[in-house]
Amino acid sequence: MTAPGDFPRRSFVARKLDEAGAGFGSLGDAAVALDFGDSAAEAETARRLGLADLSPLPRTGFKGAGAVEWLAGQGVEVPAESNRAARQSGGELAARLAPGEVLVLGAPEAEADGLPAALEAAWAAEPLPPGTPRGFPLPRRDSHAWFLVSGSEAAAMFAKLCGVDLRPDKFPNLSIAQTSVARVSAIVVRDDRGGTLAYHLLTDSASAEYLWDCLLDAMVEFEGRPVGLAAVRALGDG
Amino acid sequence: MKIMPCPLNGPRNISEFACSGEVAEMPEPNRTGDEDWADFIWMSNNTAGVVREWWCHVPTNYWFIAERDTVTDEILKTYPAGKVFTARRDFQGRDEGP
Amino acid sequence: MRAGSNRLPAPAGLLVDRERPVSFAWEGARYWGLAGDTLASALAANGEWILSRSFKYHRPRGVLTMAGQDANTLVQLKGEPNVPADRLPISEDLEAWGQNYSGSLKRDRNAVLARLSRFMPVGFYYRAFYRPRGIWQAFWEPIVRRSTGLGKVDRATPHGHFDKAYGFCDLAVIGGGPAGLSTALAAAGAGAEVLLVEENPVLGGSLAYARFDAEGTLAAARREALVAEVEADPKIEVMTGAVCNGWFADNWLPVIRGNRLTKVRAKEVVLATGSIEQPAIFRNNDLPGVMQGSAAQRLIRLYGVRPGRRAVVLAGDDDGYGVALDLAEAGVEVAAVVDPRPEPAPSALTEAVAGQGIEVLAGHCVAEALAGPGNRHVRGAFVSRLDGQGGAVPGGSSIACDLLCMSTGYMPTYQLALQAGAKLGCDDAGAHFSITGLPDHLRLAGSVAGATDLEAALAEGRRAGLRAAKALGLKAGSEPEVPADKGQAGANHPWPIFPHARGKDFVDFDEDLQVKDIVNAVADGYCEIELVKRFSTVGMGPSQGRHSALATARLVARATGRSVAETGVTAARPPFTGEKLGVLAGRGFEPERLTAMHHRHLEQGAQMMTAGLWWRPAYYGTKDRREDCIREEVLAVRRNVAMIDVSTLGGLEVRGPDAAEFLNRVYTFAYAKQPLGRSRYVLMTNDAGTVIDDGVACRFRDGHFYVTATTGGVDRVYRTMLWWNAQWRLDVDIANVTAATAGVNIAGPNARAVLAPLVEGADLSAEAFPYMGLREASVAGIPARLLRVGFVGELGYEVHVPASFGEALWDRLLEAGKPHGMTPFGVEAQRVLRLEKGHIIIGQDSDAMTTPDEVDMAWAIAKKKPFFVGGRSIELRRRHPSKRKLVGFTLEGADAPLPQESNLVLRNGEMVGFVTSVTRSPTLETVIGLAYTAADEAEEGAPLRIKLTSGRMVEGRVVPPHFYDPDNQRQEM
Repeated sequence: MTAPGDFPRRSFVARKLDEAGAGFGSLGDAAVALDFGDSAAEAETARRLGLADLSPLPRTGFKGAGAVEWLAGQGVEVPAESNRAARQSGGELAARLAPGEVLVLGAPEAEADGLPAALEAAWAAEPLPPGTPRGFPLPRRDSHAWFLVSGSEAAAMFAKLCGVDLRPDKFPNLSIAQTSVARVSAIVVRDDRGGTLAYHLLTDSASAEYLWDCLLDAMVEFEGRPVGLAAVRALGDG
Repeated sequence: MKIMPCPLNGPRNISEFACSGEVAEMPEPNRTGDEDWADFIWMSNNTAGVVREWWCHVPTNYWFIAERDTVTDEILKTYPAGKVFTARRDFQGRDEGP
Repeated sequence: MRAGSNRLPAPAGLLVDRERPVSFAWEGARYWGLAGDTLASALAANGEWILSRSFKYHRPRGVLTMAGQDANTLVQLKGEPNVPADRLPISEDLEAWGQNYSGSLKRDRNAVLARLSRFMPVGFYYRAFYRPRGIWQAFWEPIVRRSTGLGKVDRATPHGHFDKAYGFCDLAVIGGGPAGLSTALAAAGAGAEVLLVEENPVLGGSLAYARFDAEGTLAAARREALVAEVEADPKIEVMTGAVCNGWFADNWLPVIRGNRLTKVRAKEVVLATGSIEQPAIFRNNDLPGVMQGSAAQRLIRLYGVRPGRRAVVLAGDDDGYGVALDLAEAGVEVAAVVDPRPEPAPSALTEAVAGQGIEVLAGHCVAEALAGPGNRHVRGAFVSRLDGQGGAVPGGSSIACDLLCMSTGYMPTYQLALQAGAKLGCDDAGAHFSITGLPDHLRLAGSVAGATDLEAALAEGRRAGLRAAKALGLKAGSEPEVPADKGQAGANHPWPIFPHARGKDFVDFDEDLQVKDIVNAVADGYCEIELVKRFSTVGMGPSQGRHSALATARLVARATGRSVAETGVTAARPPFTGEKLGVLAGRGFEPERLTAMHHRHLEQGAQMMTAGLWWRPAYYGTKDRREDCIREEVLAVRRNVAMIDVSTLGGLEVRGPDAAEFLNRVYTFAYAKQPLGRSRYVLMTNDAGTVIDDGVACRFRDGHFYVTATTGGVDRVYRTMLWWNAQWRLDVDIANVTAATAGVNIAGPNARAVLAPLVEGADLSAEAFPYMGLREASVAGIPARLLRVGFVGELGYEVHVPASFGEALWDRLLEAGKPHGMTPFGVEAQRVLRLEKGHIIIGQDSDAMTTPDEVDMAWAIAKKKPFFVGGRSIELRRRHPSKRKLVGFTLEGADAPLPQESNLVLRNGEMVGFVTSVTRSPTLETVIGLAYTAADEAEEGAPLRIKLTSGRMVEGRVVPPHFYDPDNQRQEM
């Protein structure tokens, strides 16, 4: 049996997951909630309204002069417009938050560290001081908790927490809203999975437990529940 | 609730923003007399009419400039701060020439 | 009969289900009604007409509008006062009572107050009760409070569940009457996404209850067709039973349905809010059984309830004739139609009334409603002839009736439009209204815009819908012709006010105000409508002037020789109808931030405290041992070793070629030559030279500083830094990594012994890693930054790691400290420790005017920099030296009293400063503190006189603020 305490790196909501009866598995250097007892039923829940914690998954960010050009040089497809995301060949997302800032999210399907870790290693490997500006890495795995809200009721649920219109016909796939969710600053990235409406929600890691509770409370009227990574991966399979 | 069109994030509820007052270029500190400096620091024009104001989109900490009519509270246009502050600013020391 | 003796046969009763009887309790007795009934309609069906007692005179009150818009029908539920009975659905568990009576609703002992009304002239609140001094609070107030008011609040009421949501649409249509329905259809037809908000349980507005033709079939047919079309349209979302309670900037609409508030953002808005029928004014116009014509129609058509047996209709317009026809059709004997118009123009409706043989008394008014015993119901109408000026000629005749309907005109439901900044205009002669000056993206349709004719309202709705669609950038067809409004000329009677010498001619039912009260307010000099309102309280009751604003404007206009338009109405402000505080509170979002070690603190018995949004451990132990716990934690740091969670400390990465130049500009000290691997104090002043934050700058590389900021200040510091660089455009990037970083400070003489075994990649010896040094290393296998800092004044290391490792770090450190007896310490002990060292906390020991000089920080100001924020102002302020200074002080003696923060420092009775921090030092065993005192009395040894909270004076002595280890030997070990 894997438990969050087996690893020095822990999700910001590890206790909430544990209390909800999560079954954990290892993913890289942390434990991730794979399911809550019934991954098949959770896959159904995830199609209606599910909340998954992806905080242990790899992610990174780069910001500052030259960041976008350097990422492009590393083979990352960076969207031309701010507040748009582009899918990478390995299933990762490159989310452009500002003209000079990109957030890179690992693929929920991936087992290893993947692109985010590779980028961080490539950035660190270059000699200092840098010859050309290439931005600076941001500790996105620690600054932000990462949740995935999925299912047909996701937009209606978000309408209880967020003043931005996230309905699917108004907020196209791979759009980004940097806004306030339940009064906490958040990054919302729409990323439908296997035809199911889904949003990545990245938010202040210190507020993770608070926001987890807010989300579950807002989900009650739609019978939404926490789901594990297995259910998220099942969505991706269509 | 008013809508503020953010140059980075598009139209948003104004509760997502913080206003930091009128845009005023700082005079060269070491070339400005006490009275003019005090006037710059402590006095506000409180213009009735169109003013340029600093606004910050709080979730992204993005600063931009809005032109707002303080009489009608109409926001006329918004743009990145780089449109006004186009070049690096350096300050002159007390002993350097102008 | 279960449905009630006044129940009419089908098809009357659109809303009620005759197959589903429902019983409910009223005033302690059980009654039967039908599913779909409101409390008011069900009681009416049972012949119960009194719903409450009036605010001031305790007069019986009953149905007035049946629209949920008046104060007459406010009833008391278990745990909820002031619920409109004509909106409240009945149910088996409903228990309701009337309000504002003493004894029983039907026999109220306080009804005698009405006889005292001549001793309670308008504005008497402001004139009586105040002499002799103090008598109001001591004597009058309890009496007045007992005998006036509305419902009672039950403090044992359990919490309800309320919530909020955001809503979005292209077009919001407020009002689901004929104009609103046709607006919605036209806009949706052009492709707009429409939200249709309707206050009532069903769509249709006046089509659901009013009469538009002699045959009485037009409304139902029109309604059925329009509603079916709306319900079939997927682009239209219908919210019934929902009220839009305000208009806010950029079409932000609070829509309340049940316990949920939806904050709707609409790109376009069309107000199809209709109009509100206005009561006529005559003596006893408030008796139960006297109601608006539309109320009688609602009872009949919506609920299948016969409003009376024998009726008199006061008809100032043709709609009154429609009411008469409806009554006759419902089996009510119409004794007379009283029409104040001298010669009403013939129309289909007037002719149909004549055709039925109903007596019409043109050029007459109802001068008085005759009261039955105890004013409990109307028993007749006293009808007088009108003179050429519209006044009643003395004398007349009585007509027996148990129902008196008032149909004399309407006023547009202007509230939302006026909230949006529009102006209400009025043509006095024609008595019709206009609303002008609407903001962009807001339109009107239907009778709120002045349309009174059904066809005109429908066409206007279509036009408004198409215009909204066009504004949305949709392709909309050509606009329809709006037919000439046939009804407008005679829709509203211009002066349905028939004052009576003996009064009780109510202008405002909520506040029991009579005609003379308004006239006397003007006579007392209150000529402006806003002043009349405040003096007389007209329009201040629950119905907020919906039924009194027009009559008041007319009375004030006549008394001041102005027009109604010149007089105007009082400002319209949200909310439109009463709303519960629960709805406003809704689901409250109160973010809170936890450090990675939060649960460990709880497990270790910490008492938590807030620091901004953060939770931090105050001390570890039970509350009853608070002082002991803090003392033990302090001594553990001084004598052994202890550790504290410092994750909430702000952290900023400042990177780029101009990083040092940037810090030089935003902080007072100099950073260009700061060596790598060293940290340096940072002090931030604002551009006025006031200290606003501090921390340390850690230089890892030439172009890379890690800067700490205060817990409460970091977000503002970060934002301010970005703001400055938006203007300076230096080549530097700033990132706020506060939440990304967890931190622990291990402090005490044994700190090195605890930490060293865990560290790989750094030598912790004093020579290799001196005070203010910093290293990157691994602590228990976790990548960490180590900072040697001395906030608490002992040998200490701050260990900063990525936040998701924070809990593991805490565990490993605690484990490593076990052999040394290491314990955690909290914020309270830290505050004592730093005070013993004389370190200031910005925000506690400084205020909005504090300069670096006042707090002995001149050493932290670099002298050779060309510029830093605040520098020029500090220089300027030095030419006008401050009169105060922050000093350390002690109170000698083990039994010295402990002053409190903010206690004043006095000299010759004048305030010269105040205490900012104070404690009884466990280490020094004396009272120590920081305080502002007079600058000319700040030298060591000077007296410092503190006025304690008790008022007692105590004298201390000024000492250097470095109470403990002034040579810093311990932190530099």
